[in-house]
Amino acid sequence: MQKRDNVTAYLFLSPWLVGLFAITIGPMIASLYLAFTDYNLIEAPAWVGLENFTRMLSDERLHNSLRVTFTYVFVSVPLQLAIALLLAVVLDRGVRGMAFYRSVFYLPSLLGSSVAIAILWRQVFGTEGLLNQVLALVGVEGKGWISDPSTALGTLVVLNVWTFGSPMVIFLAGLRQVPTMYYEAAAVDGAGPLRRFFGITLPLLTPIIFFNLVLQIIHAFQSFTQAFVVSGGSGGPSDSTMFFTLYLYDRGFGNFDMGYASAMAWFLLVVIAIFTGVNFLVSKYWVFYEN
Amino acid sequence: MTRLKALAAVALVSTLLVTSACGGDSGGPAAKDGEVTLRFSWWGSDARTKLTQATIDAFQKEHPNIKIKGEYGEWAGYWDKLATTVAANDAPDVIQMDEKYLREYADRGALLDLKKAGDLKTDKFAPETLSAGEFDGGLYGLNAGINSFAVLANPAVFKAAGVALPDDKTWTWDDYNRIAAEITTKLNGKGWGTGVIGANEAGLNLWARQNGESLWTPDGKVGVSAGQVTKFFEYVLKLRDSKAIPPAEAVTQDMTASLDQTTFATGKLAMGFSWSNQLNAFSKASGQELKLLRIPSTTGQAAKNGSYYKGSMFWSVSSRSKQRAAATQFVDFLANNAAAGNILLAERGVPPNTEIRAAVTPKLQPADAASAKFIEEISKDLGEPSPAPPVGGGQVEKIIQRYTTEVLFGRLAPDKAAQQFLDEVNGELK
Repeated sequence: MQKRDNVTAYLFLSPWLVGLFAITIGPMIASLYLAFTDYNLIEAPAWVGLENFTRMLSDERLHNSLRVTFTYVFVSVPLQLAIALLLAVVLDRGVRGMAFYRSVFYLPSLLGSSVAIAILWRQVFGTEGLLNQVLALVGVEGKGWISDPSTALGTLVVLNVWTFGSPMVIFLAGLRQVPTMYYEAAAVDGAGPLRRFFGITLPLLTPIIFFNLVLQIIHAFQSFTQAFVVSGGSGGPSDSTMFFTLYLYDRGFGNFDMGYASAMAWFLLVVIAIFTGVNFLVSKYWVFYEN
Repeated sequence: MTRLKALAAVALVSTLLVTSACGGDSGGPAAKDGEVTLRFSWWGSDARTKLTQATIDAFQKEHPNIKIKGEYGEWAGYWDKLATTVAANDAPDVIQMDEKYLREYADRGALLDLKKAGDLKTDKFAPETLSAGEFDGGLYGLNAGINSFAVLANPAVFKAAGVALPDDKTWTWDDYNRIAAEITTKLNGKGWGTGVIGANEAGLNLWARQNGESLWTPDGKVGVSAGQVTKFFEYVLKLRDSKAIPPAEAVTQDMTASLDQTTFATGKLAMGFSWSNQLNAFSKASGQELKLLRIPSTTGQAAKNGSYYKGSMFWSVSSRSKQRAAATQFVDFLANNAAAGNILLAERGVPPNTEIRAAVTPKLQPADAASAKFIEEISKDLGEPSPAPPVGGGQVEKIIQRYTTEVLFGRLAPDKAAQQFLDEVNGELK
C-alpha cells in the first residue's frame, strides 16, 4: 500500500521533477562541461582542461569584479537588514494603519530587481536627475552619480538597501512569535525598552536574522539586472559597477567566450557555497534557538 | 481508486511533455500555403526604425508570400542580443551588421556567403564599397551605406556663443581645443564646446592615421604604438582641462545614453564627433539644422586628416537561416530596388549602389543631402582604406571608453592608460 502511495506521489511530483532536470540540472551539467572547454557559441566546444580556471588567476578585470561584488554584498546586506529590523520593530509596536505601511514598505522589494526601477534609477541619479534637482533647491551642486566611478556603486547599494521590504516582513512575522510574557516579566523587573530589545527581542529573533542573512547574501552575490541596466550594460563607468555576474555575461555573450563564462559561473557557485557554509558554521555561536 | 489517480497523473505528465515539446519548435518555418516569415534585426534611432518599417511594408506589398518581422533596439544592447540568439540557434534571418563584428561572426561560420546565395546582384556597386564585406573569397556583408567619421557642429550653439564656424580645411587639434574652450567660456554654463574624442575607437584610428600608423594592420594586428595612444589620451586631458568638454560624469553618461538623450542631441554642445550618416538622426533629435565638418589634423591640412570611407553597416544573412532564398531576395531589395532606395535615402549612409545613389540624391532631405554632399566633397582628400578589425577587435569600443573614463577622472595617467589599453586590446585578439 505504502509503495503504491509513493509511486503516486512521484507521479504527482513529476511535472516539477521534469522541470528540475530539464531546466536546472541539465543546463548545470552542460555548463560544468563547458567550463573545461573553449566554446565561442557558434562552433563546437573544444576541450582545454583547466585553462579557463588558470586564466582567472591572472584576469585583472575578474579580480576587480570580485572586489566590486564583495563591496556590494558586505555593505548593502547589513545596511538593508538593519533598516528592515528597525522598521519591523517600529511597525510591530502597533502603529495605526500598519497593514498600509507594511504594504508600502514591501512594494520596493517587488519592484527592486525590475528593469523599470533600474531605468528610473538612471534618471534619478543622472546629471540632470531628480536627486540633483532636489540638491539644487537647497543650493548644493550635484554631479552625475551613476557616471562617476567613485559613486556609481553607491547608487546600486542604495537601490538594494531600498528593497528592505521582504526581510522586514519576515522580521515582522518573527516578532509576532516572541511570547509577550517575557516582556511583561522584564517590565516588572524594571527593564527599559532598549534593554528589552537587546535582552529579549534580539536573541529570540536570531534565527530569523540568520535566515534573512543567508538569503540576502546569496541574493546579493547574484545581483545582475540593476548593474546591467544602470550602467547601460557596460558595468561602467570604468568597471566600477562590474559585478561578477555582469562580467560573466560580458565574457559569455559580449565576447563569445562561453567556456570561460561557464567556469566563472561555477567559481561563483563555489564562492556562494563557501559563504553559506561559513554562515552556518558561525551561526552556532550566535543564533539562539529557544527549544 | 488510487490506480485511477495514478493513471490520471501519468496522463497529465505526458500531456505536459508533449505540449512543451511543441513549444520548443517555434523557430521552425511556419509554412502555410508557401508563406514564409523572415526575421530582420537592426539597431538605430526612431527615425531609422520608421524608414525601415516603411521599406518592409513596400517589400511585403511586392512579395505577399513573405512576411517580415522587425526586431530593433539601441546599439548597446543589440550585440548582446544578437550573440544570444545566434548561440541559441535562433538568429534572425537578415542581420544588420557592423564592421566591428563582421569577421567575428563570419569567421565562425555564422554568416552566409552572399556570393553563393544566388539572387543577389552587386554589379551596380562601386567596387571599393564591396571589398569591406569581402574576405576569404566570400561576401559576408553587403555594404548598406558609406559614411565617414566627422565633426558634427550645431550652428545655433555657435551663434549663441557668438563664435564663428571654423574653417575645417585648415584647423589643427590645437585650434579645435581653443575654439571649443572659447565656446564653453562664452556660453557661461549653458553648454560646452564639444563632446570628447575617445568615446569610440574611430577617433583614435584617425589620430593614428594622421601620424603614419593605424588602429589595425591589414594582417589583423594592432597597428598603433603606445606613444601615439599616450598622445591621444594627453589630448583628451587637454580638452578636459581647458573645459572644452563637459565634466567627466556628463561625458561618461553620454557613452551609454541613447542618441536622443546625449548632450549633443539636447543642444548643449556646439560640436561632437560622429559618423556622417548620423547627421540625420541627430538633426531629428535636436530639431536643429546641423553641419558636418572635417576632422582636425595635426598639420592643418584636411587632406592629411586620415579620413576614409567606411561601410556604415552591412546586410548579412544568417548561415542557419531556413529561408535563404527569401532572405537574399530581401537583401537584394534593400540594396538594389529603387522603391527601397527612395524610402531609405541616405539614413544608413550614402547608397553604395551607384544607380540608386544617382536616383535618390535629388530627393534627399536637407540632413541627408548635407551628409551626401560631405561624403562627395571629402572624396579627393581620402587616405588609404582602413583595414577591418580582426576577430576580437569588436571589443575595442568598450575598452577605449573605459580608458578614456579612467583618464578623464584622473585615475590613470595617459601613458599608463595607453599601455593598459594596448595590453587589453591585444589580449582580446584571437
